Amino acid sequence: MPTAVLDIDLEKIPPEVVGLHDYKKALVLIRFRSRPVGKAVVEVCGGRICGHHLRDQLLEAAGDLPWEFWLRDFLDWDETKNVRLPSATVAICTRERTTDLAKCLSSLQKLQTQPLEILVIDNAPKTQKTRDLVTQFFPTIRYICEPQTGLDWARNRALCEAQGEVVAFIDDDAIVDFAWLAGLLQNFADPLVACVTGLTMPFELETTSQEWFEIHCPFGKGFRRKIFKGDSHDPFRTGEIGAGVNMAVRREKILELGGFDPALDAGTPTESGGDHEMFSRVLTHGYSIIYEPVALCWHRHRRSPEELRRAVYGYGAGVYALLSRAILIEREWAALKVAVGWFRHDQLPKLIYAVTRRPGREPLDLLFAELRGCVAGPFAYLRSRKLVSNGRAG
Amino acid sequence: MRGAPVFSVIIPTHNRCSSVRRALTSLTLQNYPASQFEVIVVADGCSDNTVEMVQQFKTGFLLKVFPVNAGNAAGARNFGAARARGRMLLFLDDDIEAVPALIESHGLVHQRKPQQVVIGYLPPRFEGALDFFRIGLRCWWEEQFFQMARPEHRFTYRDLLSGNFSLETELFRRLGGFNPGFGCREDYELGYRLIKSNAHFAFSPAASGWHYDASTLSRACQRVFDEGRADVGIGRRHPELRAPLLFFKMERFTSVPQKLLFRLAFERSRLGDFLAGILYRRLGLLEKIRYRGRWRELFYLLRHYWYWRGVATETGTRSALAGFLQSSPFHPVGSEIEIDLRQGLKRAECDLDAIRPDAALLYYGETFIGSIQREIGAEPLRSNHLRPVLAKKFSKRLLAAVALERATALEPMEVLESIPEYADQGF
Repeated sequence: MPTAVLDIDLEKIPPEVVGLHDYKKALVLIRFRSRPVGKAVVEVCGGRICGHHLRDQLLEAAGDLPWEFWLRDFLDWDETKNVRLPSATVAICTRERTTDLAKCLSSLQKLQTQPLEILVIDNAPKTQKTRDLVTQFFPTIRYICEPQTGLDWARNRALCEAQGEVVAFIDDDAIVDFAWLAGLLQNFADPLVACVTGLTMPFELETTSQEWFEIHCPFGKGFRRKIFKGDSHDPFRTGEIGAGVNMAVRREKILELGGFDPALDAGTPTESGGDHEMFSRVLTHGYSIIYEPVALCWHRHRRSPEELRRAVYGYGAGVYALLSRAILIEREWAALKVAVGWFRHDQLPKLIYAVTRRPGREPLDLLFAELRGCVAGPFAYLRSRKLVSNGRAG
Repeated sequence: MRGAPVFSVIIPTHNRCSSVRRALTSLTLQNYPASQFEVIVVADGCSDNTVEMVQQFKTGFLLKVFPVNAGNAAGARNFGAARARGRMLLFLDDDIEAVPALIESHGLVHQRKPQQVVIGYLPPRFEGALDFFRIGLRCWWEEQFFQMARPEHRFTYRDLLSGNFSLETELFRRLGGFNPGFGCREDYELGYRLIKSNAHFAFSPAASGWHYDASTLSRACQRVFDEGRADVGIGRRHPELRAPLLFFKMERFTSVPQKLLFRLAFERSRLGDFLAGILYRRLGLLEKIRYRGRWRELFYLLRHYWYWRGVATETGTRSALAGFLQSSPFHPVGSEIEIDLRQGLKRAECDLDAIRPDAALLYYGETFIGSIQREIGAEPLRSNHLRPVLAKKFSKRLLAAVALERATALEPMEVLESIPEYADQGF
């Protein structure tokens, strides 16, 4: 049974939510004065949610946060208020997904703070579709074709082409909230901040696979702003920082660190990990990353079980590929500890839950897919590096 | 003959000819008119060709060089300041490469009001490999400057960084300049006297210069040893600083290694030095396998040891240190005001700016919210300090007070409707 996804402001709770006949429950993003403050799963009865019931549940789920925001409005003060916003380029790396891309680009037109420019990086396209979409319907957006296959090639291309001080990346299968860009940009006042990530919510939960994705590897990392400092945060614990689906980087700093590793992420044998590898490199060089929930976007998760398994396999492969990179190239032996820790404290307990059929367990095939990815990761990375160096030589 | 310049830029140096050349070159590129400033290089005990280089340096501004034997930077700066003809003094270190707007930006801040101490931004730059030590150092510097750049920062004497700051010549001379008895921490010591004389501290991010920091791990150990000695010196001169400089640090000792190294520094310094040597070598090993968490812990311990070793050199035994700290005089509370936030935040801010108290008691109507306490060596309170403190430190109490006021203004039935169950969740 699918879950409806709703977006409700505490100050504008409707007397009743109707028309949810296809759903038994709803995931609600709770906002207070347009800022995300929490989420709640609410039951749907006969296609409706009663407003009074909804209000109680939302208030309970949001906890202290609306009050803190209320006080900050009362005081007319916030850490990120009245800072100079850096100039920004928005970059979307895409490949043959024009339906999603069109939605993404339309949502960007409604941003409250407009960027200096928007770039669409078409990664090793097979058809002309993306080019046609951009040139016909979004003439102000710059279309760039990156022939080398791989998401990190496309990201590096965006860094080179961009004119803004900050490059904000958004996935082609996501749409942005009106305050997304300003939310990211207002966190760059500290010169040590090299990267800011945002909150990503599911755009829809129509299939079981999408629901499992949201449970197994949610992109959202809470509703409080968090700072990860290079001189205190373990650089290989990047899971809690965010993801490349919704991140902005300080262009000059990331280029100084050598850009994204083209042997990683989508389009290569490693399938993912380019974003997290960059997070750990940012931290090992002493720079900071901020997680900012105001920078909200909605991501359409994979719909079919095969796609889900593939994605979960890819995450396992990507994480182990980046850990292998850290050990082999950067000689970061501490990365080993993270690999062991992940298995002991996360994967193993989940496996035991699944095998002993305890409540709250995750599907065994998903866990196995992830483990297979982990085993394949180091080899995938070596293969991928070879491909990159051959590509360069050729 | 030109008229007196506005700024006198004073650069003390000791055998760093190429750095001085870089600093002087950056000063030739200033936006500020060359006729309005002079540069005084004080070559302290230089045995390289610094003096000849400066003498041959071609510039549009007036450039003087004095070979002296002052013994330390404090003495050299005083010597330069005594020969300055400018209305303003701008102290720059020799390892700084000024951006073209540096002098102009110092000047712009001074135009706002008199009696200011303007501290400029010094983003660090390193030549050679970026090791753990330098990465940590860069974080430390940038964090200091970022905090100072925030409007709510409450300046203290520790914010005076002698590498890039400016003040009126008259103010500097009235306070007697730097204390030449300090080879290190001379900036803290002057900073304290400046704060006490009610000088207004300001930070200018635009008055920026690249800082070519040549520190290394071993030099940092030597440096922290000197800081320990200097802190005792400051405590001797300003007894009220003994507690914030030394005693509060001791209160933070928690781990066994910290306590052990502290004892060794005072009682078994030879064994302590030997252990510190081992620690130092382990740092190299940890860096090789890139265990930065452990590295940070050990580096902290090493610094801790050398700091107290420096203190021990000055005070002798632990009981002598205890006596030294106990003889710190009781310091009376400075001016304190009561603020009723119910009168409005604007009103409260105006009061703070008009009175500039050292401490404040915050109320909302009858309800006590909290107090902003006096800090030894910190500037008096300003309007910018208020809202951040309320948002960060006293948010729950203030919320409760405001909620209570609004609730009592309603009829009983409305109260029940308007206070949901979370009202009893802690505020």
